[in-house]
Amino acid sequence: MAAVEQVAEQTVRERSAPGWAVVLHQELRDLWMGGRGLLLSFAFSILLSVIAYLVATNSALNFLEHRESVNVTLQVAVAVGGLLALLAGADAVSGERERGTLESLLLTPVSRSQLASGKLLAALSLWLAAFAITVPYVWFLGRGISIVGDALITGFVVGTLLAVFLSSLGLVVSLFAGSNRVSLSLSLFLLLALFAPTQLPSSAQKGWAGELLLRVNPVTAGEHYVGKIVVNGHPWSEDVSWLLSPMVAAVVFAAAVPLLGARFIQLRGGVSG
Amino acid sequence: MSRCRAHRTVLVALVAALLLAPGAQAADPAARLSVAVDRARISTQLGHKFVFRSTITNRGSTAARGQIAHLNVLSLHPGVYVDPEDWSSQRTRYLDTIPAGGASTVTWRMQAVNDGDFGVYVTVLPNSGSARPPATGPAIRVAVAERKTLNSGGILPLALAVPGILGLMVLGRRLRRGG
Repeated sequence: MAAVEQVAEQTVRERSAPGWAVVLHQELRDLWMGGRGLLLSFAFSILLSVIAYLVATNSALNFLEHRESVNVTLQVAVAVGGLLALLAGADAVSGERERGTLESLLLTPVSRSQLASGKLLAALSLWLAAFAITVPYVWFLGRGISIVGDALITGFVVGTLLAVFLSSLGLVVSLFAGSNRVSLSLSLFLLLALFAPTQLPSSAQKGWAGELLLRVNPVTAGEHYVGKIVVNGHPWSEDVSWLLSPMVAAVVFAAAVPLLGARFIQLRGGVSG
Repeated sequence: MSRCRAHRTVLVALVAALLLAPGAQAADPAARLSVAVDRARISTQLGHKFVFRSTITNRGSTAARGQIAHLNVLSLHPGVYVDPEDWSSQRTRYLDTIPAGGASTVTWRMQAVNDGDFGVYVTVLPNSGSARPPATGPAIRVAVAERKTLNSGGILPLALAVPGILGLMVLGRRLRRGG
């Protein structure tokens, strides 16, 4: 009897909840109770452990190299956390379409824009988990040089902006991709293209054209800002203009997800469903 | 009398040689410059920033143009690798013209990147690329106190524990689903 009341109470609660919250709840259950989120987090923690071990066991680190080791760990966490969010976003619609579950999803009384929003928020949970895993590593590496707080706050702000941008980008790609493989491949390609300028020689990054390229690209601009705070010890406000493109990209793409989702989440001809 | 003349001739020849020699100080504007610093010793802690000033004085009778001041840092003991770029991001300054009898002060901002004893000094040389020795100021002794920054031994338990906990969670989830 109590179980029936509990189910009824849950049903009433779900009915009163907005559509995106119901989708978010269901997506989080699939992601984390299904084990996919845990597996990705496990792989992420192995990567961070290897990097942290390598930088920490170099006994010849000087003060700046020490700050740089915190920076490297944080930048890897932000980049790979963004990658996880991107992958979850890229699988959100095309994956449902390919697994044949999109049709039943479309039959639920939830608007398509709320469906897209719920999926976007669920994809962001991977970044939040990645950040939570990063905290002990940054604390360990940065505690002796008093940059733990600054590093974690900067990493969270920049990482969240980039994760919102990248997961939204993946979701937008997923809306239009003909198959899940295309969606994941294209999203990864775009991510690599966004990271490519970080590999340019430092001489190419100087001058107005080089700086413009770094500033316009949300990924390079965000990573640059993290480096200035963590390595150079700059105050928050000094390089805040570098956060402009990550902010704009996050807002524009996050706004595009429900707008495009309302119009383009649909079954495709020839796809089983 | 002839010995006295001979001495005088030798003296004149020596003075002439000194004046006309390629390394003659009076012929090179850089040689008329002197460098002074505002302190002889700095004590600080690893990671801390510090500032000192150098004053380049033109003791010549003509203005000194195109002078370049350069900051150097080195360890006073062997076995410490010093990358001067880490200590200061602006180690070269192109000075404005220093009028005769005038002086130019340069502020140097540095950060103690290694611990130990270090020598910091400023040299000034002309942009003509002259091979003559540059003007060099007195060295400042910088004593940087050690600060324990990283206990590398503690990373292994952390590096194993985090993936270990997550691995157990993944395994537990798999077993529960399998059961």
